[in-house]
Amino acid sequence: MNKAISTRLTFAVAILSLLIFIILWQVIAQQGLLVKNFPGSFKTIGSLIWWVSDPFFDNGPNDLGIGTNLLISLRRVLIGYSLAVLVAVPLGVLMGMSKLAQSSLNPYVQLLKPVSPLAWLPVGLFVFRNSEITGIFVIFITSIWPTLINTAFGVASINPDYLRVSKSLGASKSTTIRRVILPAIMPNILAGMRISMGTAWLVIVAAEMLLGTGIGYFIWNEWNNLSLENIFVAIIIIGFTGFILDQFFGFLQDKFDYSI
Amino acid sequence: MNKKSSKTSSSNENYSHLELFNLGKIFFKEKKFIDFRSKGNRSGFEAIKDINLKIEKNTFVSIIGPSGCGKSTLLNLIAGLQAPTSGKIVIDGQAIKGPGPDRGVIFQNYALMPWLTTIQNIEFALNTVFPAKTKADVKERARKYLRMVGLEKASNKFPKELSGGMKQRVAIARALSINPNMLLMDEPFGALDALTRSYLQDELLSIWRKNKVTVVLITHSIEEALLLSDKIVLMSSGPSAIISEEISVDLERPRDREKIEQDPKYLKIKMRLEKHLLRETRAVEEVT
Ligand SMILES: Nc1ncnc2c1ncn2[C@@H]1O[C@H](COP(=O)(O)OP(=O)(O)OP(=O)(O)O)[C@@H](O)[C@H]1O
Ligand SMILES: [Mg+2]
Repeated sequence: MNKAISTRLTFAVAILSLLIFIILWQVIAQQGLLVKNFPGSFKTIGSLIWWVSDPFFDNGPNDLGIGTNLLISLRRVLIGYSLAVLVAVPLGVLMGMSKLAQSSLNPYVQLLKPVSPLAWLPVGLFVFRNSEITGIFVIFITSIWPTLINTAFGVASINPDYLRVSKSLGASKSTTIRRVILPAIMPNILAGMRISMGTAWLVIVAAEMLLGTGIGYFIWNEWNNLSLENIFVAIIIIGFTGFILDQFFGFLQDKFDYSI
Repeated sequence: MNKKSSKTSSSNENYSHLELFNLGKIFFKEKKFIDFRSKGNRSGFEAIKDINLKIEKNTFVSIIGPSGCGKSTLLNLIAGLQAPTSGKIVIDGQAIKGPGPDRGVIFQNYALMPWLTTIQNIEFALNTVFPAKTKADVKERARKYLRMVGLEKASNKFPKELSGGMKQRVAIARALSINPNMLLMDEPFGALDALTRSYLQDELLSIWRKNKVTVVLITHSIEEALLLSDKIVLMSSGPSAIISEEISVDLERPRDREKIEQDPKYLKIKMRLEKHLLRETRAVEEVT
């Protein structure tokens, strides 16, 4: 009973704060308190409704529906990200298990990890001569590090009891990896994948400003149109999509939480 | 159980089930890529040395020693989880080279896989040891051993849903399910409350009687060792721990945990053990 009341209360507070925010935004914009011609919340909500009511039109690369652009971005992220996970998990397991792999690969990881993935964009364009593949490539580079590092850390810090049980039963290396190590480090892999996805979703927007098409290019295009309210629409959509993606991984992490 | 009868028929050879010859283990520090202290510290830490021991088939042997003396180390060597630095381990007349399903190991903190249910934990062991068995066979056998430790109802629960005593029973069922001829237990009941502990001790005894296995039990508890064992092995304090004494416990079975404490034989051995442990523990304290 108490819980029901408190959830209802939180909901009411959230709605109230949203209303206050929208009204303040509208007042500030209308009075020109920030800069002249800054779009108010009413105008932005109007555009949002306009874009969302017909999201999938296609009138050429500079005039795509916001849904179409979103799907283009999501597709690039999903392909680059999946490839990254497919590389990062086995490589991470290898690094976690073998001192040799660890010491030979770690310097590269440590050196490349802090570099903004956008630095790879010209490299991609030069090598692939194709903006689509370059986008996927940049997302691949973005996504690989967190998953790789978390996986390797998970293997290195796995409860030695599990390995001892497996060893005492005479399990082969491949059985141990498949039936013990991988399930044991699932929480680490998912934590890495969640961070990777978050970063990939940040980077795709920036990358697409330079690549053409996609939600990032949509922003760039609307900047050229000087349509700030459409940029706000994109920000809202990007934020919402990122939130959904993150929640999905949160859900998976809960599923694979072995702790008490 | 056919396996057992064939074993007993060949057991009148002149070797014991388990024999340790001059067993020693030194832990060397792992070499770091860049290690500034490496010059002085090459020697390593000698945990146990010159361990000689014979354990007869189907006997129950306990190992007692002060904390940190190397009991777990010794058990890990017998299990084949670590390689000895010197000496050798002979089982049924053959030197062992590593772990094997002839030895079931029960670890101190249960070591159940948290992502598997109770029955899946046992199935994992069975699938690993008997890859040729069918799914139905494995399930049936896993059920049988869960029934044996009275946990049939908990077969679809995850370890985190079980109490400590239940977890340890799953671990016992898992170790027994692969039909080992030797059960190696590292302080299996140390973390349990007194009631659960005595319950599991009785259970272990009845399992031991029915299954005809050799048991090597590491324990901190003199009472536990006296109640369960045919022989008690005393280890000295480490480093370089040795076996300082072997004591036969020729008390009649079945042993009643209430009545046994009035037995003068029991009291005599108990006093001897207490004196030894006190002396060795004091030695540890003076060193550190
Ligand atoms: N992997 C290792 N590397 C270095 N030293 C170790 C290692 N394993 C154990 N030792 C050392 O060997 C000694 C014996 O350890 P062991 O765990 O066998 O003792 P124990 O008798 O089982 O102790 P306890 O009663 O507390 O369980 C200890 O001093 C310990 O620090
Ligand atoms: Mg120990």
